[in-house]
Amino acid sequence: MARVKLSGAEIVVEELKNEGVEVAFGIPGGVLLDLYDVLYEEKEIRHILMRHEQCAAHAADGYARVSGETGVCIATSGPGATNLVTGLANASMDSSPVVALTGQVPTAAIGSNAFQEASTFTITMPITKHNFLVKRTADLPKVIHNAFYIANTGRKGVVLIDLPKDVLADVTEVNLHPKETFAGYKPNIKPNQVQTKRAAEVLANADRPLILAGGGVIIAGAAEELRYLAEFLGAPVVTTLMGKGAIPEGHPFCLGMAGMHGHIYANRAINECDAMLAVGTRFSDRTTGWQLDQFAPDATLIHVDIDAAEINKNIQVDIPIVGDVKLALSDMIKWLEKNKKTEGSSKSVWVQRIREMHSACEECIKDVRREGSSKSDRLIKTISGILDDDAIVTTEVGQCQMFAAHYYMTKKPRTFISSGGLGTMGFGFPAAIGAKVAAPDKKVVDIAGDGSFLMTCQDLATCVENDIPVVVCIFHNRYLGMVRQWQELFFDKKYSHTGLGMTPDFVMLAEAFGCYGERVEKPEELKDALNNAFESGKPAVIDMIVGTEDKILPMIPPGGGLTGMIGTEKCKHV
Amino acid sequence: MQTRIISLLVEDNPGVLTRMSGMFTMRGINITSLTVSPCEQEGLSRMTVALYGSESELEKVRKQLSNLIEVVKVVDLEERATIIRDLCLMKVHVKDSKSRSEVMQLAESYGAEIADATLDSVILELTEEPEKIDRFVELMKHFGVKQLFRTGITAIGRD
Repeated sequence: MARVKLSGAEIVVEELKNEGVEVAFGIPGGVLLDLYDVLYEEKEIRHILMRHEQCAAHAADGYARVSGETGVCIATSGPGATNLVTGLANASMDSSPVVALTGQVPTAAIGSNAFQEASTFTITMPITKHNFLVKRTADLPKVIHNAFYIANTGRKGVVLIDLPKDVLADVTEVNLHPKETFAGYKPNIKPNQVQTKRAAEVLANADRPLILAGGGVIIAGAAEELRYLAEFLGAPVVTTLMGKGAIPEGHPFCLGMAGMHGHIYANRAINECDAMLAVGTRFSDRTTGWQLDQFAPDATLIHVDIDAAEINKNIQVDIPIVGDVKLALSDMIKWLEKNKKTEGSSKSVWVQRIREMHSACEECIKDVRREGSSKSDRLIKTISGILDDDAIVTTEVGQCQMFAAHYYMTKKPRTFISSGGLGTMGFGFPAAIGAKVAAPDKKVVDIAGDGSFLMTCQDLATCVENDIPVVVCIFHNRYLGMVRQWQELFFDKKYSHTGLGMTPDFVMLAEAFGCYGERVEKPEELKDALNNAFESGKPAVIDMIVGTEDKILPMIPPGGGLTGMIGTEKCKHV
Repeated sequence: MQTRIISLLVEDNPGVLTRMSGMFTMRGINITSLTVSPCEQEGLSRMTVALYGSESELEKVRKQLSNLIEVVKVVDLEERATIIRDLCLMKVHVKDSKSRSEVMQLAESYGAEIADATLDSVILELTEEPEKIDRFVELMKHFGVKQLFRTGITAIGRD
C-alpha cells in the first residue's frame, strides 16, 4: 500500500475500519479530542456513547461473545482507563476478544503526574493478553493490526492500546494495513494427531464416557462437532457455566451444567464416568468442587484446550491435546468413523443409568427446591418458555445468575452470556447492550438481581439515546442474595451488610430514563409483562418481586466435592 | 522444592521486564536471580531467571512465560549440561598486613582478582559458579565483608 500522510487519529480510524470494526463503545475525554474529531466525520464506524467506561468494556465484551468479532471500547486517560479495568479483567477471564483504546497524556508528560494521568500500561498488564503503549505515530498501523490479531487468535483475549495525545495528533507518512509480525507469537492451532487418535480410542472403548464442555467449544464454533461426537459415542454431555449452549439443553444427551450450583445428576455423572473428554474448559473450582478425589476418580481424563498453560494446571490429565477445539473434535470424529466404531453400543447401561438419574433425582429433591425457591425458579422457567431459541440471555452475578444457569434452557451457542471467571456484578446489563447491538434482530434479556443492576443501571440512558431495546428482568429480593444465602447456610444467619434496605422503585426508575417499566408480583404475570416490554419497542425493566429467602439449591458447600451437595440428602439414586 | 534456571529470549521492548516479573508475582513464585542482557540477535534480549518452587509450579510458570507475546523462546536449563556463572564484587576488611596476605592468598586459590586495594580493605572480583562464590564469601566473612555485590547468574547450555 502506498505511503499516505495522516494524523495518528486518522491512522487509528483507518486501521480500525481495515480490521472490520463496525461499532465502538466509548466515552471521549481531553486527550482523545483528536480521535473523536475524526470519529465525528466517520460513517463506517458506529460509536455508542456509554455512561460509564466499565459499561463500555462490558458492552464490547457482550458484543464479542454474541458476534465472535472483536469488541472495541474507548476510554480517556486516567479515570477513563481505570474505570475500564473491571470490564477488561472480566473479558480476559472468559477469553473474550476485546480491543481497548485508551487515551494517555502526551509522551513528554508521562510520569509527571499530569492531569488525568494514570499508568494504564502497567495497571492493565496482568488483566490483558497483551498491551501496548504507543510512543510514535508511525508505529500505529503495526500496533493496531497486531492488537486485533492477538485478541482474536489462539486463546482469545483482551488487548489494550494506550495512545498518548501527541501520538494521536502528530501527522506522519505511513504505509497502512501492514501484515502481522511477531517474533514469538504463534498460536498453536493444529492438534497432535497421535493424541486425538488415542483420545478417540479411549472414548470408543469406554463403558461410561462423558463429555465436559466448556466455553471453548462455543468460542471455537464447535457445537455441531460436539453434538455429533456425543451422539456417535453415546456419551452424555455436561457443561460448565461458560459451556451453556455448546449443546442444546433438552437434547437427550445433555445433562446441563455441572459444578457448585450444577445439576445433581451432572455432578454424579462426572463422579461415575470411566472416560472424560474435557473440552474447552479450564477446570475452574466452580466446576470441579474442592474435593478433587470426587472429580472423575475412575476416569481416563482427556483434555482439549487451545492454551497449553491450561493443561495440568488445575487437574492432572492422562491425554492432553493442545489445539483448536473444532479441529480436535473433527479429527476424533474422522478416526471413529473410519474405524467404524459403532454408536454407543456397549454404553446402553450407562445411558440408561444417566436417564434414570435425570428423572429420578429431580423427583427426590423436588421438596428442597420448592422450599428454597418461592418463585425464582418459576420466573426463569417462564422466561425460558417465552423466548425463542435465538433469543439472547445475559445475566448479572449471584443467585439470579445461578437460577438462570440452572433453569434457563439454552438451545444455541452464543445465546447465554454470563460473567463466569471474574463474577462481575453489573456485567449483564451492559453486556446485553453489546449483545443487542451485535444482533439487533434478536430479543435480548438481562436476568438481573437488584444488587447487580444498581451497579450499572445508569446506562439505561445509553439504551434510550441509541434505541437499544433490551429487557432487564430484576429479581427483586432486597438482598445481595447469594451472599445472604451463604450467610444463612454457613454463618448462622448473621446477615451482615447484605440487606439493601429501601431499594428503589425500579418501575419509576425505568420511566425516569424514558424506558418501559412493569412490576410482577406473581410468576404468572411475567408472561404478559415480557410481551408488553417487547411490544413497547423501548428498553424495559421488569421488576420481579421475589422472596428474600429464596435459595438456589442444591449446592456444593465451600470446600466440598461433587458428591456432597447440600439439599441432596434425601436423594436415593446417587 | 527446587531451583530451576530458565533462559528466555524476549523482544527488547520497554515493559518486558515488568510483564515478566508481574507474571511471577501473580503466581506467587520467588525469583532468586534475574539477569537481562543483549544477545546475538538484534532487537532481542536474553533473560536468565533462577526460580525457586515446586516442580508443578515451575512447570506452570514455564508455560505461562511461553504465552507472553514478547517471549520468543523459553529454555529450561538442565543443571548438569549447563555452564552457570555469577560475578561477585566484594570489599573485604584487612586490619593488618597479616590478614591482608591471608586474604590475598585465599583469593588466589579461588581464582579471584584484586580489583582495588586501600590501606584497610581490598576489593575482590570473582566470576564463578554461584556455589563456589557462596563458599568464598563465607570464608571472607572471617575477615569482615564490608560490602558485597553479585550480578546474579547467567547461564548457557552446552548443546
